Amino acid sequence: MNYPFWDIPILGSGWVIGIIAIFHVMISQFAVGGGLYLPLAERKAMRMPEGPLRDAWLTQLAVYSKFFLILTAVFGTVSGVGIWFAIGLTHPEATSTLIHNFVFGWAMEWVFFLVELTTIAVYYTTWGKIDPKLHLKVGWVYAGASAFTLIIINGILTFMLTPGDTWLAVAGTGHEASKFWYAFFNPTYWPSLFLRTCVCCALAGIWALITASRIDGDKQPELKTSLVKWSVKWLVPSFVATPFILIWYLWMVPASQRALLSLGIDTIGSGTFSVITRIALLIIITSATIVGVAYFLAYRNPRDFNLSHAIALLLLALMATGAGEYSREMLRKPYVIGRWMFSNGVRVPYVARINQEGYLAHSMWVWNDYDESHAKHLEILVSPEQERQWSSYASQPSYSRGEAIFRGECGSCHTLNGYRPLAKLLAGRDQANIRSFISMLHDYKPDSPYRRFMPPMVGTKQDIDDLTNFLNAQVNPPTPAAQKPMQTAQK
Amino acid sequence: MTSKTVASSVYDWVDERLGLSELAAFARHKTVPVHSQSFWYYWGGISLFLFIVQCFTGVLLLVYYRPGADAYESVRQITFVMNFGWLIRSAHAWAASLMIFSILVHMFSVYFMKAYRKPRELGWLSGMALLGVASVFGFSGYLLPMDELSYFATKVGLQIPSAIPGIGEAIANMLRGGPDVSDFTVQRFFALHVVVLPAIFVPLLGFHLWLVQRYGNAAPPSEEAKPASERKTMPFLPNFLRKDLAMWLISLNILALLASVFPWSLGKPFDPLAPAPVGIHPEWYFMSPFEMLKLLGVVLQGEAGEIAGILLFTLGIVLWILIPFYDRGKEFGQRARAAHYFGLLAVFALLATTVIGYWTIR
Repeated sequence: MNYPFWDIPILGSGWVIGIIAIFHVMISQFAVGGGLYLPLAERKAMRMPEGPLRDAWLTQLAVYSKFFLILTAVFGTVSGVGIWFAIGLTHPEATSTLIHNFVFGWAMEWVFFLVELTTIAVYYTTWGKIDPKLHLKVGWVYAGASAFTLIIINGILTFMLTPGDTWLAVAGTGHEASKFWYAFFNPTYWPSLFLRTCVCCALAGIWALITASRIDGDKQPELKTSLVKWSVKWLVPSFVATPFILIWYLWMVPASQRALLSLGIDTIGSGTFSVITRIALLIIITSATIVGVAYFLAYRNPRDFNLSHAIALLLLALMATGAGEYSREMLRKPYVIGRWMFSNGVRVPYVARINQEGYLAHSMWVWNDYDESHAKHLEILVSPEQERQWSSYASQPSYSRGEAIFRGECGSCHTLNGYRPLAKLLAGRDQANIRSFISMLHDYKPDSPYRRFMPPMVGTKQDIDDLTNFLNAQVNPPTPAAQKPMQTAQK
Repeated sequence: MTSKTVASSVYDWVDERLGLSELAAFARHKTVPVHSQSFWYYWGGISLFLFIVQCFTGVLLLVYYRPGADAYESVRQITFVMNFGWLIRSAHAWAASLMIFSILVHMFSVYFMKAYRKPRELGWLSGMALLGVASVFGFSGYLLPMDELSYFATKVGLQIPSAIPGIGEAIANMLRGGPDVSDFTVQRFFALHVVVLPAIFVPLLGFHLWLVQRYGNAAPPSEEAKPASERKTMPFLPNFLRKDLAMWLISLNILALLASVFPWSLGKPFDPLAPAPVGIHPEWYFMSPFEMLKLLGVVLQGEAGEIAGILLFTLGIVLWILIPFYDRGKEFGQRARAAHYFGLLAVFALLATTVIGYWTIR
């Protein structure tokens, strides 16, 4: 409301974040796990007896660290900044709340991030050039710094799901930052940290298998066998502990949100939010497959383990990561910040006020709705010239009030014709029917099934009418397009 | 007695009566050629795996499916009421498509590797028969939910058998149980789908697999041309089997991904009096023959043209099936160019007519 809406047709704004984030998580968690893998592997090699195998390990690790440097320091960094751009544009309200609370969290992360980038560059360039023991120490510094980036960002990510009662008690008072540590060490902090650490280790093993798979098993059988087997072991803690940590994690999520996971057990009906169950099932099957493939193809058959096998593993890991992150995001519904801000940016305690004043009353970016009272209301000093300019925009609306409300209230999760398309979800309803559906979302009665995953529709009666008119025009276009020629079974 | 000794005494008991050791010894000597084209060896196994998935999910669907007038309602319950009913149904529907796809890949890889040559002619013929039965499986299964789409698609699909001159209409009537697709058709297709076709498919599959065991994997002519010392092999047990199983696991994941992200929904109940919805078309694996017949009908006009078209189409299929008998490749390593070009033409025609088919739906 206080920000312009970034309308992304077809794909929807959520996926702009989603695509960048899944890509980023794959790489950044690898950066953390790999940060541990490199010094441990180097230490293992240094403890080996002098000989060709030891040299081969160290040579291979130098190759691996180059791959690691490029992947994490280039793609990981760029995609991380990409998330900032994406969340700022698609969800400014939530981003603003996070920054107001966690600006020092991010400052700390930034410091560790700089250390991380510096040490990995030093680590790569000093192979064989400095004392091996010192080189190993550089590796450990990198491991520590990268672990801390996870330790910090985990607090902010879990906060969004479970901000905790202490923080919620001060939310909206302007003193939120005083409860920084409560918000940081929120109920899902620890299970999530352990979960992500396990995933980091697994990803370190999987990415290491990519480089290990390219060793010629006929020429260097000993190196390939030992490296592949050792890398597979990195998957073990993850697959032993993950099921238990996941249960712990879900235990800490409020029951109402946890219940979202079961919505798709018995149905795939549209509008029932069954997708989260289906995606969560994918985590189980892909993770189980990774174990199977890693054991049978890599551990039991290391010499024949080739690049296509490794890529298959990586794709499975990508599927598991994607499904996991998607489920985590969906688990937060109907909120973007648990119990405080709905997924469309409306703060929970503001609902009554917006219902009274209207959804667009505070939207200075919707020109056609501009009038003087708004400027006064917002206590913005407007020069007469600016006011004239604004008024002139108001006479040429670029889109209707209904569309503005659609973009603001629905656009975070829905598009018109692409992802979660309202034109399709509302198909078959006439104007009265669409209106009663929106009114039902507006009333938000305790027994409404939509309450479980959708925010209320907020605004006045006029807002409901405007949104109805806009959506009705999309679902039932006033001038129907010429009927396509029918192709019947006869011809 | 420890569990190990119990296990070994049970094994001994069974071995004495069934001769498992002989089987194991036989399996240990089996090898699979290793070369740049080895990847294609997995597609037969993938097809087999998907068939097993079909049996498993099919039996589960059978528990709740009710043919006849109740057909639509029972599928609606499976999809929107039963716990995980949607998953089983989606997996069944997706695995059907994937199975036909993998059989086609398997067929073309066998074709281009010349694996149908002596002594594997019967393997090729039984494989072709399996593809034929699999496509009838697909066709009969598609109707069973009896929603709008399956009703009209079946109506369109039955144009293929009814186009056969003379007996075509009679065959189509027999399949439909009358001049129109109705509840009788569902009943017949159901019997076909769950009794008749499995009764044909399973023994054929057994025969096909027995032949594969007997003659092993064929190496492509380029490999055959190499001296024996340069050819690489891997043992079937455990190496190839392990990789085969990994492929199964990957197929299972692709299937799970498709079934979860794109579950098969259900359309409106069928209404024979309603006009067919826009864009009705057969399933993708029937698109090509459907479109070929349509195109031949355009090129060869009139009744005589129609018959000529059917004959031409049939000739193509017969030539394809009989490839082992005229492309015998007396000298190993000699690439029979004519057969090779015929194969390329078939791939091109299949892809082109499928694309044209989808292009012209609207």
